[in-house]
Amino acid sequence: MYIEIDGISKTYGRRVKALDDINMAIDKHEFISLLGPSGSGKTTLLRIIAGLETPSAGRVLIDGKDVTGQPPHQRGVAMVFQEFLLFPHRTVVENLSFPLRMLHLERGEIARRVGWALEILSLTGLENRYPRELSGGQQQRVALGRGLVASPKLLLLDEPLANLDRELRQEMEIEIRRYQKELGIPFIYVTHNQEEALSMSDRIAVMSMGDVEDFAERTIVYNHPKTPFIARFVGRSNAFHGRVRSVSSTAMVVDCNGIAVQASNVGARPGDEVDLYIKNEKISLLRGTAAGENAPACTVRDVILRGNFTEYLLAAANGQMLVAGLPAGAETFLPGEDVTAVWDEAAVDAFVRRLQ
Amino acid sequence: MTLENTDIQVVNAPAARRTGLSRRQIALLMQAPSVALIGMFFVLPILSIIVLAFWRTESYQIIPDFTLSNFSAVLFEGAYLTFFLRSFITAVAVSAVSVILAWPIAYFIVRVSGRWALLLGMLFALPFFTGEVIRLIALQGLLGPVGLINSMMMWMGLQPIRALIFTPIASAIGIFYLYLPTAVTALCLSLVNFDFRLADAARTFGAGPVRTFLEVTWPLNLVGTLVGFILCFVPALSSALAPRFLGGPNGTLFGMSLAQQFGDTGTWSLGAAMGVFLFAATLLMVFMLSRAVNPQRSGFSGGTAEREGR
Repeated sequence: MYIEIDGISKTYGRRVKALDDINMAIDKHEFISLLGPSGSGKTTLLRIIAGLETPSAGRVLIDGKDVTGQPPHQRGVAMVFQEFLLFPHRTVVENLSFPLRMLHLERGEIARRVGWALEILSLTGLENRYPRELSGGQQQRVALGRGLVASPKLLLLDEPLANLDRELRQEMEIEIRRYQKELGIPFIYVTHNQEEALSMSDRIAVMSMGDVEDFAERTIVYNHPKTPFIARFVGRSNAFHGRVRSVSSTAMVVDCNGIAVQASNVGARPGDEVDLYIKNEKISLLRGTAAGENAPACTVRDVILRGNFTEYLLAAANGQMLVAGLPAGAETFLPGEDVTAVWDEAAVDAFVRRLQ
Repeated sequence: MTLENTDIQVVNAPAARRTGLSRRQIALLMQAPSVALIGMFFVLPILSIIVLAFWRTESYQIIPDFTLSNFSAVLFEGAYLTFFLRSFITAVAVSAVSVILAWPIAYFIVRVSGRWALLLGMLFALPFFTGEVIRLIALQGLLGPVGLINSMMMWMGLQPIRALIFTPIASAIGIFYLYLPTAVTALCLSLVNFDFRLADAARTFGAGPVRTFLEVTWPLNLVGTLVGFILCFVPALSSALAPRFLGGPNGTLFGMSLAQQFGDTGTWSLGAAMGVFLFAATLLMVFMLSRAVNPQRSGFSGGTAEREGR
């Protein structure tokens, strides 16, 4: 593989383990996201790949070469930072030409490449502005341009859109993914925002407390979470907890405080404690009441309009609150109405609680 | 303007009702003590020195006749210009050496010492806790003919270094010792406010440690460096105590000679003219140094454009 992260660990002092034996292999054309809450170690991993921090153990290989001992400026990687970190004493053009000057390219070549970056990032006309004379979005484009201009072997992005407003962020998501496909170099994108990770990445590494919980294609991470953490963290889910009542060869029925949930059998035995997660949008609503599994009777408590979908806040008979997300144009329900929440057996992500 | 005034009235309705004063009047009133203080202890003394410089003193009497003789003495009697040049060269050399040494010290305190930073910083401020005279007398003990350094030299069978005491070099060492902490403090403050992640950025974009320093760290701390230089230079130029205790017969500096006009010789108006000359020279130097800095190229905006939006 083009980039290999081989057994990387990072400990601070004696106790704090920021990263615990991380192994990843990344292909040349891939857009990878490191997704996790703050403190999960994702930024530390990024800084280790950049060479800004030294791992306590393990190796980083870029294009088949072990770069673990190399200082950052010899690795041929580039980085886009959350706070942009443009050089405040340099103009847009000078910021963009910085990585090229460091490569000792000739003037004509530098001008040509800076021109290219100004063009694709629509920064023309701002050449001689200083960073603080630019808007947040423009600064972001310069930071991105500075990352791309020297055609690095790898671009690292540390929450680059976190400081932008929502509209601009969605616009930039599309742009960033386009640059990655056009340039054909891997992007490693750190974020705590699952929407960014899901909209741009080919594969997502979900990180939690210094571990990679799963490193898989985005659809798999979203639809088939490998761990309870991923089920909770990615997407919006309803959580159930209960004991297995009965099992068959393919399915099991779990009694969750009066709500019977049927899910695929994940190797549980009757009496086992299980955690179940159902994504909001996989629940649909029927008028009136029904019987059986995966069909609790509920009362609509509130209706939240989200534009392209509607969220229904439901109270089940046992008092548990559920959220169902229905697409715009679906049948509508009113607060106070009695409904039945229904879902497919395949929509349930089930995890057996292992005894410690 | 009208709008502004209305706003002010509304905001300050309670205060205005209680005192019958507008917000502006209250603000002026609150600034009065500090204005009075600066006026009494800064502006008035300087004005009186300027006036005195154009008068005469004769046998310990001030005679209020307008004359330019004091200034012509300062400018054309060789001794004073010699003292001034000697002071100027000493001050430039001492400030330059202080700043050059302050850089690694401040860098170490800010970047490496971690939780010891505050303690180390305090240690550097420690000399400020005692008087200049005490510190200079301590230096006499160190540099003197039978002082610590020369005793060591002789004990090792070497010739003592005569230039170490009662020479212009000795006063330069003294001035350096007095004002190095100022330079270190100025640079520490500059480096504390410097975003070292910018250096990280430079390193990821291919700059080695030297290039990173020259292209990012140095220009963005240039103002702090100059402030450190000026804070050394200004007191060094007018230094009177260090040459008196360490300088010896050929080590008279401008500030020391100036002090003598007010003390031993009683030629107050000549002293005043020397003071005005010193003040003007200092202002000129500070002005020239500040002109040498382009604020935009040192990371200062110079404009009011906001970071967000536009």
